[in-house]
Amino acid sequence: MPVSGIVLTCSMECAYDVASRVATLDGVEVHGVLPDGRIIVVVEADTVEAEVALVSGLHDIGGVMSVGLAYHNFEDIPHKPC
Amino acid sequence: MTLTRRDFLKASAAAAAFATTGTSALNSLRSRAAEAADNAGITWGKAPCRFCGTGCGVLVGVKNGRIVATKGDPQAPVNKGLNCVKGYFLSKILYGKDRLTKPLIRKGNRMVEASWDEAMSLITGKFKESIDRHGPDSVGIYGSGQWTIPEGYAAVKLFKGGIGTNNIEANARLCMASAVVGFMTTFGSDEPMGCYDDLDLGDTFILWGANMAECHPVLFSRLIDNRLRNPKVKIIDFATRHTRTSQMADQYVKFVPQTDLALLNAIAHVIIKEKLYDETFINKHVVFKKGKENIGYGLEDKFKFADDPKPMTFDEYKLFLKPYTTEYAAKLSGVPARTIVEIAHQYADKSRKVCSLWTMGVNEHTRGSWVNNLIYNVHLLTGKICRPGENPMSLTGQPSACGTAREVGTFTHRLPADMVVTNPEHREKTAKIWGIDPKKIPDKPTYHAVEMFRALDRGDIKCLWVQCTNPFQSMPNLNRYRKGARKGDGRFIVVSDIYPTRSTEQADVILPTASWVEKEGMWGNAERRTHHFFKMVEPPGEARNDLWQLIEFARRMGHGPLFPYKYPEKEIFEEYRKFNEGQGKDLAPYEVYTKVRGLRWPVINGKETRYRYVEGHDPYVKAGEGIKFYKNKATNYKAVIWARPYEPAPEVPDGQYPFWLCTGRVLEHWHTGTMTGRVAELKRAYPSAVCEMNPDDARKLGIKNRDKVKVSSRRGSVTLTVDLNGRGKSEPGNIFVAFFDENKLINELCIDAYCPLSGEPDFKKCAVKIEKA
Repeated sequence: MPVSGIVLTCSMECAYDVASRVATLDGVEVHGVLPDGRIIVVVEADTVEAEVALVSGLHDIGGVMSVGLAYHNFEDIPHKPC
Repeated sequence: MTLTRRDFLKASAAAAAFATTGTSALNSLRSRAAEAADNAGITWGKAPCRFCGTGCGVLVGVKNGRIVATKGDPQAPVNKGLNCVKGYFLSKILYGKDRLTKPLIRKGNRMVEASWDEAMSLITGKFKESIDRHGPDSVGIYGSGQWTIPEGYAAVKLFKGGIGTNNIEANARLCMASAVVGFMTTFGSDEPMGCYDDLDLGDTFILWGANMAECHPVLFSRLIDNRLRNPKVKIIDFATRHTRTSQMADQYVKFVPQTDLALLNAIAHVIIKEKLYDETFINKHVVFKKGKENIGYGLEDKFKFADDPKPMTFDEYKLFLKPYTTEYAAKLSGVPARTIVEIAHQYADKSRKVCSLWTMGVNEHTRGSWVNNLIYNVHLLTGKICRPGENPMSLTGQPSACGTAREVGTFTHRLPADMVVTNPEHREKTAKIWGIDPKKIPDKPTYHAVEMFRALDRGDIKCLWVQCTNPFQSMPNLNRYRKGARKGDGRFIVVSDIYPTRSTEQADVILPTASWVEKEGMWGNAERRTHHFFKMVEPPGEARNDLWQLIEFARRMGHGPLFPYKYPEKEIFEEYRKFNEGQGKDLAPYEVYTKVRGLRWPVINGKETRYRYVEGHDPYVKAGEGIKFYKNKATNYKAVIWARPYEPAPEVPDGQYPFWLCTGRVLEHWHTGTMTGRVAELKRAYPSAVCEMNPDDARKLGIKNRDKVKVSSRRGSVTLTVDLNGRGKSEPGNIFVAFFDENKLINELCIDAYCPLSGEPDFKKCAVKIEKA
C-alpha cells in the first residue's frame, strides 16, 4: 500500500475545523496541527490512484489553501508497467 | 510494542512532512522509526523535479534498481521539502508499458527494430548526403528546454562548430523567447535580477497571464504562505480566464485578449500624470528608447524583421503615453478606468514592495517582447527593482528552459552566455574555446522554430533531428507542418524520445532515450539556479541518453575531435564554464553542484547571488554604486524604458469566427502529455481535452454541458466535449482548450503568427467558431 506525508496550509482560524474534517476521511491520519495553521497528514490507500484521489479531495475542502507532498513510498506495489 | 514496516513508513511520511515545517514529530519513537524506514534498503539521491521550470528539489529513493519512493528535499531552498501533486508521478513517467527500448527504422509504413549501429549509420548517411548535395543548412536539430546543459551544449557545438550550420532551435522558442528579448533589450542580459525569495518578501504580487496555482503550485504556495504570515500581502490576477489562481487572488482583473499592451501603458500613464514615479532612480538608472511600430506578424514565409531603436527623452516618452488614458485603455480592455488607477497606485505605493509575475499569457503573444518591456517600464518608473521583495519575475515552464536553452544558447542566433553569431568577437571567443577556425561558425542566423518547420515544409531543410520534445503536436498551424514533414523528396526525420508520440509517428528513425535520473545531468531553473543530478537507475532495454547519441553521431560525422571527453558531463560543463567567467554569469566548478541544492549565478568565490545589479548582493557592483545595470554598456549601464504601443492581434473574432481560442495546460498534464499521459491515474482524472466555454455563450448557442461541438478556425477543426463546470471559467467570447491531448490536436487551429522580435508564436489568441457536432 502506498503511503504519503502531506502538509496542508490553512488559515489559523480554520485549521482545527479543517483538521477535524480531514480526520474523518478513510485512509487519512492527522499527525499534527501547527500554530500557524499547517496540518500534517499521512495518507494511505490500496493504490496510488486511490491515494491521489484522496489528496485531490483535500484540495477541495473549504479553508485548504495549498496541499504539499513531502513523502511518497510505493515500495510494496508489485511492478506492473502502467 | 511491535512495529511493522508499515508503521515505519507512516512514521517516515509524517516525519518528512513535519521536517518541511521546521518542526519535528513529538514522539521520538516515531522519529527513530522514520530513520529506520529510510535506511531499510533504500538509497537516496537528490535531483530537481522532471516537470516544470520551478526546479523543486526531490529526494529519489532507489531499491533493487528501481525507484520506490520520493520525497520533497528538505534542504532544497526552492520548495523546502514539499512537492506539488505531480510529485506522485515522478517515478511513474519512467515506467510506462510502451517505453521505447530499441532503435526503430522506417520500412514503408512500418517501424522495424534495428541495432544502434544500423540506426546511427542510416542517420549519418542521410545527413552526409544532404550536406553534400544541398549544403550544411539543409540539416538541423530541434531540441528542448528539457535538454540537460551538457546535451544542449553538445548540440550547439556539433551543429555550429562542427557541421557549420546555425540550424539549431529549441522548443523554448515557443515559450520563453519573448522573455529573453525583454531582458536583453531592457537590461542587456538575459534572466531575472530577482529570485524566488521575492515570493516570501513582497507585499503586492501582480500576475499577468499566469495561472500559478495550477502551473507553478509550489511557488504559489510560497505566495500563500507569505499572505498567511503577513495580512498586508495582496495578490492581483490580471487574466483573460478565471482560474484556480483567480479564486485564490485578492483581486481578479479580467481583460480582453491583447489589451495588456494598452493596460500597461495606461498604468505608466497614471504613474506619470500623478507624478508617482521615482525621479532620482530614473535620472540615475534609466534611458528611454523607441523602436519600430506596425511591425507585422510573421505570417508569410521568410518574414524578416530588424528593430531600429532610437533614443528619446523622458518628455518624449511622456508624450508617447498621452493617448493611453485610463478611459482609452478601459474601452479597449474592458477593465474599469478606476481599477487601472488603483493598480497604478499599487505599483507606485512607496510603502509596499511590488512584484510582477508572468508566464505564457505574456510571452506567447505576437507582441510578447513588447509586453515584457512594458512590465519592466512600470518597475523602472517606480524604482521597484533589484531589491529583495520588489522585482519583475518571468516564470518558466520547463526544467532547463533557462539553464540550457537560454544560457547555453540552443537557438539559431545564439552562442553561450548571451553571445550571438552575428558578432565577430563572440564567434572568435567561441571558436577559441572550441579549438576551431572562427570562420566555421556561420555569421548569420538561419531559421527560428516556426521558420525552421516552414523550411522543412518547403524542402529547404531535408534532415531534421528532434530530441526531447514533440513539435508535431506542439507547433501552431500544425496541419501544415505535419504534412510538410512527410512530403518525401529527401526529407528525413529522426526523433529521440522515451515514448511513442505524435512526433515519433512522423519519424524515419526513432531512438530510445534515457530520461531524468536514468542519466547524469544539469538543469537551470527560472531563478538562475543551476542544479545537478546523478544517474540513479538504468534506462530500459537499449535506451541511451541524448548526450551519448549526439557524441556518437558527431564521431560518425567526422567531428569526433570536438568531443574528446572521458567524462562528458563533467568535462563539457567545465568547458562551458569558460564562456561564463567574468561575464556576470559565473558558474561554480562541477564538483560543487554535485553536493549542493543548486546555486544561483553569478557564483563568485563559491558564493551565489540572490539579487543581480545591486550593491551588497551582486559582487559585480562595487561599493558606492548602489544599482548598476552593468551588462548594458551601450547605454552607459542604464536600463531602457521602451515606448511600445498597443497594436491589435493579427486575427480577431468576427462574424464568421466569433470566439477567441486560448490554449494552455491543466494541473493533471504537462505540456503535450507524453509523460503524464502514461500515468493511468492522470489519464483517468483528465482523459481528454475539453472545450471550456462560458455558460452564457453556450446557452445562446443552445449548447449544454457535455455536448459535443466542432471547434474550427481558418486552419483546422476538432471535435470536443463542452465543459461548463470545470475549474477554469472562460470569459464571454472566449474558449479554452488544453493542448496535452494527442487525439485532439488543438494546435491545428492555432495561427502561426509570431512576435517579430522574438519569433515566439501566439498560442493564446486566434479566432474560432463553435458548432454543435
